[in-house]
Amino acid sequence: MGKIIAVHSYKGGTGKTLLSVNLAATFAKQGKKVCLFDLDFRAPSLFAILKIASAENWLNDYLNNTCDLSKVLIDISNRIPGKGKLFVGLANPATEAIRDMSAKDRKWEMRALGRLLHLRNALINEKGIDYIVFDTSPGLQYSSINAIVAADLVAVATTGDRSDVDGTSRMLKELYNLFEKKTGIVLNKVLDYNSKERQEELYNRIKNIYQVPLLGMVPCFCDILRAQGNFIFAQDKPDHPFSMLLNEMAKKIDANDIK
Amino acid sequence: MSKEEVLGRKPVVILEKIRENLERLNEKMEVIIELQKHDRKGAMQPIQDTPLDVMTLLSMPDHLRKTAMTVCRSGRATAEEISQQTTRARAVESAYLNQLVLMGYLKKERKGRKAYFFAERENEAEI
Repeated sequence: MGKIIAVHSYKGGTGKTLLSVNLAATFAKQGKKVCLFDLDFRAPSLFAILKIASAENWLNDYLNNTCDLSKVLIDISNRIPGKGKLFVGLANPATEAIRDMSAKDRKWEMRALGRLLHLRNALINEKGIDYIVFDTSPGLQYSSINAIVAADLVAVATTGDRSDVDGTSRMLKELYNLFEKKTGIVLNKVLDYNSKERQEELYNRIKNIYQVPLLGMVPCFCDILRAQGNFIFAQDKPDHPFSMLLNEMAKKIDANDIK
Repeated sequence: MSKEEVLGRKPVVILEKIRENLERLNEKMEVIIELQKHDRKGAMQPIQDTPLDVMTLLSMPDHLRKTAMTVCRSGRATAEEISQQTTRARAVESAYLNQLVLMGYLKKERKGRKAYFFAERENEAEI
């Protein structure tokens, strides 16, 4: 059975989009059928990262019930080596669309949740999709909480920043736990990652602070900053240590080995 | 159909009728109990539709959130079906579901012997 993964964080700039895109590409590279959705309607970015200049239909349109799901999905499988499939549903980056999405009422948000919940049946049960990955907005936004409710696993991107640690701890207690969601921490921008002792110390510290499984630790790679969003590491630099870490993370998720 | 089958079936039919009536009676009692809890004597009409959005789900007590989320995921379900997913007793789920109906978050529709609960019809019809 397929899985829905929501990539979320308390603060912005923790690496949600980087993680979402590369995790989706890693699954596809491993031969899986994957759908990646941009649910960050306040600051859409997948269109830029994936260099898709324009889309006929956006995820906004599906949630607004003005088009079918099939018209939102863009097939970019040709960019991935192997037999896997990768589809994306983009958020509309137009200022008017961003304004429209931030002014929705509670009834609309309730219907949007219904449509996100419907993805399990439409994509996983009927189309044989193995993974759905939601890239979300940081913090307590309607679109992000909708994604969390619809997901099987929440991958929480966090850094060592004090405010991020504090906010992530609160979200674990007051958001993910209340919805009884399986959660895994991805500690990003880790400094001094090289020694085994340091890795073990970090692992134990994260377990103590958050009391949830650690999905992975990502060192602070200068290469990622230098890439300026121009590469999808999993696809363009398959031998890079970051791509290797993603392979491990994808394997853990696939084997349901999140401890 | 043999004579034995006809004779054998009658008590079952009667028992089924009794069970059906008891279930309805139980549901009515649950509604009355909930109305008393909310001090809304005489007002048998539920509160007008209140959207069951995620912020509302977050603010609910844990026991009701579990039921409400299960209905959201199922789209439309009976108390029996919800109880199978939450692994709580059917009568407990029936009470929670009726409470959510009274609070205006869910709607209830009868089809024959079964009562179905759902958040909004559009969830299943327009997608």
